[in-house]
Amino acid sequence: MNKYFSFTIALLAIQNDLFAAEVGMPQLDPKYWASQAFWLILVFSILYISLAKFYLPKIKNNLENRENKIKDDLDDANKFKELSESKIREYENILENAKKEVIKIYIESKNSLDKDIQSKKEVIEKEIEKEIIKAQKEISDLKKNSISDIQKISENIASDIIEKISGDKLNESSIKAAVEDISKKNLGKYL
Amino acid sequence: MQQFSVHKIGPEIKIAGIDLSFTNASLFMVISASAILLFLFIGTKKKEIIPNKIQLIAEMFYTFVAKMISDTAGSKAKPYFPFIFSLFMFVLFCNMVGMLPYSFTVTSHIIVTLIMALFIFIAVTIIGFAKHGFKYLSIFVPSGVPALLLPLITVIEIISYLSRPVSLSVRLFANMMAGHTMLKVFGGFVISLGLLGGWLPLGFSVALTGLEILVAFLQAYVFAILTCIYLNDALNLHH
Repeated sequence: MNKYFSFTIALLAIQNDLFAAEVGMPQLDPKYWASQAFWLILVFSILYISLAKFYLPKIKNNLENRENKIKDDLDDANKFKELSESKIREYENILENAKKEVIKIYIESKNSLDKDIQSKKEVIEKEIEKEIIKAQKEISDLKKNSISDIQKISENIASDIIEKISGDKLNESSIKAAVEDISKKNLGKYL
Repeated sequence: MQQFSVHKIGPEIKIAGIDLSFTNASLFMVISASAILLFLFIGTKKKEIIPNKIQLIAEMFYTFVAKMISDTAGSKAKPYFPFIFSLFMFVLFCNMVGMLPYSFTVTSHIIVTLIMALFIFIAVTIIGFAKHGFKYLSIFVPSGVPALLLPLITVIEIISYLSRPVSLSVRLFANMMAGHTMLKVFGGFVISLGLLGGWLPLGFSVALTGLEILVAFLQAYVFAILTCIYLNDALNLHH
């Protein structure tokens, strides 16, 4: 406690000493007015000249550079945007053309295929017809042949049968005529 | 008020019988100006598109003052931009340097602020007469005033015009001096109330220091903007 007390006293003493030096306002003492005015004008002039001639143009330039840079960049960005838009348009055009071409190719190939198929079909049909005609001819030939064969066989059988039964031999021409007659009558039944 | 006292540093310089010795006031003027130059030197050293912090602050000061001038005085005031900028920076840095303990506040001296204000007043008057000739006197005769009141208004206008340097200088000087005196008084309370009661004035001192930093900036701004307004009157003559 004693220590704090003496500390406070010491501080008060210092403070009183300070107050002793503070009489009146030093601002109103004209002793150094001229000096202050002189140094103010000198220092301020130097400051003004160095700012006006050196630092402010530098800052101004830099600010303008930045503004120009920003403007240029924006212009560039716009240009690139337009460029990309035109590219997109180009791309879309190409895509559209490609689509059209695809449709064209599809139709063309379809048509050609159709034609191909048609022609091949025709050829095959003709061949088939030919084959059919040939086959029919063969059939009719066979039929004719078979009829004459059958007649011959019938004649032989008939002559054989007559010979066995009657023991006589009839002349062949009469048998042939009779078989022909009967077969003509009955042919419709078998064919 | 020891903090406001001026004393000689170094040898006595006398020119034509006038004492122009280098004093602590001169020293702090030099310190403030050097601080501005150093700050701008660092701020403009690297001219980068994306600025670093100090460059950004320098550019913010630039655009701040430029905007202040174009807002209050229009585009005609552009040639006076370097002067207003120097003025603003000088007052601001003097105020701010004065906030440092054991330093000297240049702007707390009436002679300093008076010389600046007188220079502005005279320069503005010369600019006004150079731009408009005798028509500049119409600044004292506001339009739209009844004829009966006109003589009175004119007298008042003349007085207000002539008191501009006084109001401009006293505003800055008184603000700075009052703030520093108040800090001093509260500092004295801290010591005299000791360890038991000194905490309250200490808190006040801290708060006042913050306030004083605000005032330092504000007064520099006010000083500059009033200069702009006076310049505006001289450049664009209208009421």
